[in-house]
Parts: sequence; C-alpha cells; structure tokens
Amino acid sequence: MTIQVLGLSHHTAPLAIRERLAVGNTQLGCALGALRARYPQIEFVLLSTCNRVELYAAAEHEDLPLDQILSHFTGGRGVDRAAVTPFLSHRGEREAIVHLFSVAASLDSMVVGEPQILAQVKQAYEAATLQNCTGPLLHAAFQGALKAARRVATETTLHQRRVSIPSVAVADFARSIFERFDDKCTLVIGAGEMAEETLRYLRDEGVCNVQVVNRSDCRAADLAERWNGRALPWSRLREALAEADLVISTTGAGEPIVTAAEFAGIEAVRYERPLFILDLAVPRDFSPTIGERPGVYLYSIDDLRATCEKNLALRDRELPAAKRIIEAEADRFMAEMHHRATGPLIRQLREEWHRPKEEELARLFHRLPHLDDRSREEIRQSFDRLLNKLLHPPLESLRDHARHGIPHSLLEALAKLFRLRD
Amino acid sequence: MLSGMSIVCFAASYGVALILEITRLVFRSGIRGALMMAFAGAGLVAHTLFLAHRAATTAGLPLSSTQDWYLLAAWALAATYLYLTAYHPRTNVGLFLLPLVLGLVAVGTLLTDAEPFARESASRVWGVVHGISIIAATVAVFVGFAAGLMYVGQTWRLKRKRPTAEGMRLPSLEWLQKTNSRALVVSMVFLGVGVLSGAILNVIHRGNQVPWHDPLVITTVLMLAWLVGAVMLSVLCRPVRHGRKVVYLTVFSFVFLVIALAIWLFSETQHVGGQQGAEGKAAVVWAPRPSEGGPV
Repeated sequence: MTIQVLGLSHHTAPLAIRERLAVGNTQLGCALGALRARYPQIEFVLLSTCNRVELYAAAEHEDLPLDQILSHFTGGRGVDRAAVTPFLSHRGEREAIVHLFSVAASLDSMVVGEPQILAQVKQAYEAATLQNCTGPLLHAAFQGALKAARRVATETTLHQRRVSIPSVAVADFARSIFERFDDKCTLVIGAGEMAEETLRYLRDEGVCNVQVVNRSDCRAADLAERWNGRALPWSRLREALAEADLVISTTGAGEPIVTAAEFAGIEAVRYERPLFILDLAVPRDFSPTIGERPGVYLYSIDDLRATCEKNLALRDRELPAAKRIIEAEADRFMAEMHHRATGPLIRQLREEWHRPKEEELARLFHRLPHLDDRSREEIRQSFDRLLNKLLHPPLESLRDHARHGIPHSLLEALAKLFRLRD
Repeated sequence: MLSGMSIVCFAASYGVALILEITRLVFRSGIRGALMMAFAGAGLVAHTLFLAHRAATTAGLPLSSTQDWYLLAAWALAATYLYLTAYHPRTNVGLFLLPLVLGLVAVGTLLTDAEPFARESASRVWGVVHGISIIAATVAVFVGFAAGLMYVGQTWRLKRKRPTAEGMRLPSLEWLQKTNSRALVVSMVFLGVGVLSGAILNVIHRGNQVPWHDPLVITTVLMLAWLVGAVMLSVLCRPVRHGRKVVYLTVFSFVFLVIALAIWLFSETQHVGGQQGAEGKAAVVWAPRPSEGGPV
C-alpha cells in the first residue's frame, strides 16, 4: 500500500518549464485515460494549475513504477524527460499526504491562503474519478485533503486575510460600502492587468454591469468584450463617472485625468451616491482631494499596500496553527491507512474463528433438538458476543500499533500464533 | 421576588452576550457565536416568561405600567438583535444594540413601583394600540440610532482607509443606510398612530380636553413633526436619501426620544407613569389611572 506524488511547482520550476508539462482542462481526461490504460492497477489524480503540475499515484498491492510512469507522462506531453527531471520533486507516504493537504489548504500556494486552489484540487479529483482513475486510497486521501482544508479555513483566519491589492480593495473596502453588486455599475478607465484582476474579484461578488473607457477605442472594445461589458469613447468619461458606483482606474496618464474641480461638476448630478474609486495608476488618475468629498471612497495603490502588508503579517501569524491542523490530519489519515493494511489478516482471523464457532453451534443444536428458534438465536448471539470479546484485545493492539506505521511484527506474530495463511 | 429574579436572569444573560460580543475584538473562538446566541436566546426566553407572568398576574391592563413599557421595548430590541445576529453572524451589531437593551432594562428596573393603567373596556383597545405603537416607534428609533452609529464608524474607517479590525466587522454602508431610512419611516408611522390613539383616549375620557400644554405631549408631537419632516426630506431630497444625512436624521430622532423619555421620567407631566404635578391629578391624561378607576 503506497501513495506517492511526483511533480513540479512554482517552488521548484520556472513558468517556462511548468507550462510545458501543464495539462489543460480539455486534455485532462485524455491524459488520465492514457495512464489508466497503461497502469490499470494504479490510482491516479493529476493536478495541473498555473503554479503546479502534480501527479498523485497510489497502489494497494504493488510498488509504483514511478520511473516508467514519469516517462509515459512526459512522453505523452511531448516533453523531453531530461529537460524537466531537474525540476521535479518526489514525495512518498506521509510526506505526500502532508503535501497534498497543504496544497488543498493553500499553504503551498504562491499567495498563501488564496481560495482558488481548493476548487482546483476538487476539480482534479472529480476529473480523475470520472475517468475511473481513483480507488480507495486516493478517495480517502483527497477526502482527507478537503477536510483538512475546511478545518484550516474555519479554525484559522488564513483565508480571510487578503494580500493582493485587488482582493483587499474588494474584500476589505468595496464590500463594506455596498451590500450587493449585481445592481451596481462598474467603470474601468484604462485597461491595465490589475483592472482585470479586480474585475475578476468583483465578478465573484456579482458585478455584471461593466463599462470601459479608454483613450484607445480598440482596447476599450477588447476589454469590454472579454467582460461582457460596454465600451465608451473617452469623450464620455464624465458621463460614465456620473453613472458609476465603482471605478477602477489604471491609465498611464502623466497627470490626473479627473481633478477636484472636474469632479465637482460630476458630483452635482451624483447626489452624494456612494462612489468607490480604486485608483491603481501611478501617477494617480484621480486628484487625492476627491476622496474628501462626501460619499466618495478613493483608494490608491499606497493606501491598499499598507493593508496588504498588515494582512500578510497577520497571515504569517496564522501559519503555525494551520500547519498543526495539517500535521494532525495527516497523522490521522496515516493511522487509518496503516490500520487498513491489517484488514486482510483481521478478515482471515475472523474467518478462522468463525468456522469452529459454526461447528460448535451445529453440534449443540443437534444435541438439543427441542430448542425453539428464539432460543437458538439467543445462543447464536451469545457465541458471537463471546467471539467478539475474545478478538477485541488483539484487534485493539493492532489499531494502537497502526498509529505509528504498519504493524508488521504484530501481524507476523498473529499469523504464526493462529496459523493464518500469508 | 419572581420579578426581581427574572430581571436579573435575563439582564445577566444579555450582559454575558454583550461581554462575548466585546471579546470578538480581542480573540477568535469557534464556539463564541453559538454561545452568544444561546445566552441572548436564553435571556429572551426568560424575558418573555417574565413579561407573560407580569401580564397574567398584574391588575389592570396587561403590561401597561411604565416598567412594562421599558421592558417590552427592551424585549423587542433584544429580538431584533437575535434576528440580525442570526442573519449577519460576522457583524458586531450586538456591540451597539445590547447596551441599548440593557439600558432599557435598567430604567425599567428602577421603575418597579410604577402602577399599571386601569382596566376599563372603553379605553382598553385604544390603550393597547397606544402602548404598542409607542413601543414600536421607540424600538425603531433605537434600531435607527444603532445603525446610525455603525454607519458613522464604518464611514470613519473607510475614509481613513483602515482595514477591518480583528473581530470588528460592521454591516455595509448600503445596508446601514437602508436600515436607517426604514427605521425613520417605521418610527414616524408608529409614533403617528401612538399620538393619534393617545388623543383618542383623552377624547373618550374627557371630551376634547387634550393636555397640549403638557411637556411630554409637546415633546412627542414635536418629535412626530420632526420625523415627518425627516421622512419628507429623505423622500424628496436625493442627497439625503443617498448620503449620510439620513443617519444624522435618525441620530437626532434618538435625541428627541431621549428628551421625551427624560421628561416622562423626571419632569412634571400629566401622562400616566410620569411625575404628577398638582394639576395633573385632575387633568386629562392619556389613559385612566387605577386609583381613580376611570378618567382622571
């Protein structure tokens, strides 16, 4: 019985290597199917995200031919094995389980605590299950990983602490202003990457009405199309500002595109409706004094960076507690796995004892033919109880020893004492 | 004996719930939310039993004494707290509502000797309408006040660009503003019904002699006028509807309410439950006093 993980991540490999091995959602089924066809006795789950490509493999009754599996996998991806080998890491048994649990709980992520990884782990597990690539070992391992991740999420504040500027802007500030986002108008000025990242968080909150204003109509149309929004010409910026509830600004302008005086003109038609402005541009797009106006909540990169750093420090403080949860869950899982290894012998032991019990019962019932069905059932239950009581101490000893590994010596002793087959 | 014990019981439960709310600012706990709800829930059950016992055993109209009035208002506010905490478990509404609940209970405790209104069929319905309306208006003003304080706190944090403090999460400005506006409308409607039913009670007992010169009546009518004005302003004026000014309106309403309650408690008024002046003994009040068995 063994569980191993082979792969590379942002810790060990640059993006150029990771993307060569990465398996897209559309190719995942095919890659898993090929592994399943080649190694039908082995369980597989393939986790491929932008930060990691990891192959989890497990087998109940045989050793894992990791070398061959790796060659098969890299060959299937059309990648030279020698090119990726230096970046690969391998973990086995408890180490593999601790790693899986840490990945699911987002302790191994590039941004620790980011919530997407749990969904990606779930998707990878479901995709493998769909392809019949999972069995009892990986079922148990991934269920354990999901449980550990849930515990980390509920028992620590790791996931509540946002550390990227867009996520802090949305979670710590925009959500404190607005109760719902589906009826709000979001205006994007410029087309920076950070604006798109902020839009992703806002979309998660329910934003659906997006307007894009850019000096280049073409870029505005591109971004608007990607986000199902509406592109507006630069000349309609004031009008769009008057209508907006949230503004994300990321232009490369050398001076503010909205001054306090210009905003005063817009303010008259806004009627102090709350306005959240996320000014991600350097130099800033909005004059800082606009933030002093009633109903306007203006945040620049520097305003949010301080929050990000504070959250990062608080998150670091939570890490030991999260790691303790992972260790405890891994210990529990390993104990169950080791105990599982004793299953065949326990089954044999029960079968060996069951046979003489049945013989004795048959002899007794033969000698006492006057017994009615109820009395027979009582006697049968009594024999069963006696058998269970006799078996209880050795089985408990097996369970205790399984906490520290597969109890080989104990299993051997039991096999010899009770003359059980191998 | 029972009333003393019960008040201590539910006040202590609310007190523990408030302490648990305060500890949210200091440390995290997995079971605190459940404990808070349990203590507040137990307090509300004890509070309900106490009021039921009072209603069943006190002579006169049920729950019509000044003490009952305060305890009923506290009960409604505690129920509001439980509802809000159940639906917004991460927010600290208890920090703002529970002190108000305990304040009402404390004032109610100081008024253990206040007498209930007399039981008289003609005025019973209007008495009940009057009492319930005034209590509902008071609770709405209290809720609006708590929401207003939270709004001010949330705005202060957002304007200073500070992250959410550990264990201190307030509802969004949008939610608080809606709650404020609704509290304003609800308090206006109920206070209007309360004033009207009070006037009708006087008409029933003493013809058309409503004591308009009474300080409590004056303050209450002024407060109603203020609430009507505030609601009109928030409906007609868009900046008030959207901005923080609606919050100031609810805070001013609370100040009016406190003045009215202070007059009721400490100044000479002809209203039942307040300090009776020499002429008050013979004047028309909003409901009959028990000792005289009818209009006074």
